[in-house]
Amino acid sequence: MNDADTIQPLGGPQRYAAGDADAFFAHVGSGGKVEADDWMPDEYRAAVLKFVEMHANSELMGVLPERDWIMRAPNLRRKLALTSKIQDEVGHAQLLYRVAEDLGKPRTEMLADLLAGKTKFHNVFHYPTKSWADVGIIAWLVDAAAIVSQQALRDSSYAPYARTMKKICWEESVHIMHGRDVVLTLMNGTTSQRAMVQEALDRWWGPLMQMHGPPTDPAKDKDLHWKIKSKNNEQLRQEFLSIYVPRILELGLSIPDPELRHDPDEGRWHYTEPDWAGLKSVVTGHGPASEERLEFRRVNFAETQWVRDALLGSATAAA
Amino acid sequence: MTERVWEVFRQEDEGDPMVHAGNVNAPDEELAVHYAREFYGRRGESHRLWVVPRDAVTELDDPDLLKPPFDRSHKRPGGYIIKHKLERAKERARGDAT
Repeated sequence: MNDADTIQPLGGPQRYAAGDADAFFAHVGSGGKVEADDWMPDEYRAAVLKFVEMHANSELMGVLPERDWIMRAPNLRRKLALTSKIQDEVGHAQLLYRVAEDLGKPRTEMLADLLAGKTKFHNVFHYPTKSWADVGIIAWLVDAAAIVSQQALRDSSYAPYARTMKKICWEESVHIMHGRDVVLTLMNGTTSQRAMVQEALDRWWGPLMQMHGPPTDPAKDKDLHWKIKSKNNEQLRQEFLSIYVPRILELGLSIPDPELRHDPDEGRWHYTEPDWAGLKSVVTGHGPASEERLEFRRVNFAETQWVRDALLGSATAAA
Repeated sequence: MTERVWEVFRQEDEGDPMVHAGNVNAPDEELAVHYAREFYGRRGESHRLWVVPRDAVTELDDPDLLKPPFDRSHKRPGGYIIKHKLERAKERARGDAT
């Protein structure tokens, strides 16, 4: 007799009961997903919130270096593209604050903590920009380094974050093309334009190598364990180098690290150890542009208070 | 002033299914629609949006109802493995069967 003609019991997906933390961690550890309204242990909720809030802060602060260049963009198309990228990044911040809000922290509180310097944002946004080539290098390589981590986050166990990452990655891929196009145009220009790109790369290489953070012990990394993220810092940096080192070198640019080389036997890149103490100092608000950027946000937040008041006030009046 | 969460559904092209896109926080329907347009339609990537207050959504996620622990293969095309039965039936029809 054929098996298909009998009734078979099914295993079914592994579920967890509200309050059962062990079963919850078994669920996420085996690739299970979590929705905003599902029960979750406090430590998982806090870990996702911290991760997403830092990401949201970075998107919001990350537009400030680019904003400085809107009025200095070399032509109208570049100005439109840059403005559109900035709108996208602020939009990412809004989407991510929305994800974080559902985890229980109000947006006003997250903004207040950011402005007070209590929460962090990515190291690369603590530095000043010096030339139009910086705009190209940021849009190409900073966004490329970011997309490597963001693509890995599309598998996050926290499903609302993973879904938001799909939309964000799609938009970031446009930014990378815009940045690469800016860099290529300069590289095909004059000798001094090429020198400008090389100078920008020299300025940004250190922060780029720090961006994914120091190698961590995967056994102790809870975010990894709970599959909030799916790749560790060093994996992300190696992936970034594998894709982008050849693309940088093929343009005739040189990378300012004499130790940088790929070891085919080990299958990994060697590089000069980034300045991890410097990274820690920068992300805790001691970078060259940290205070200036935060002050800009504070002034901007105060100046736009009337807009929020008007929108929320008129909605109250109409209700 | 209390804001509400509005779930946004997006139709990519005419005739496509409405797919959940994300959500926005807004004090009223008018602003919710503006935000939804900015987040999920500013590139011409949407043909239509639905904006629904989250509390209007009724959820069912009870596995006893949705993933009952019994074989439901008779409800799916894949539950019918007919290859060998068909071969035998054809043999019989050809008069090969003894």
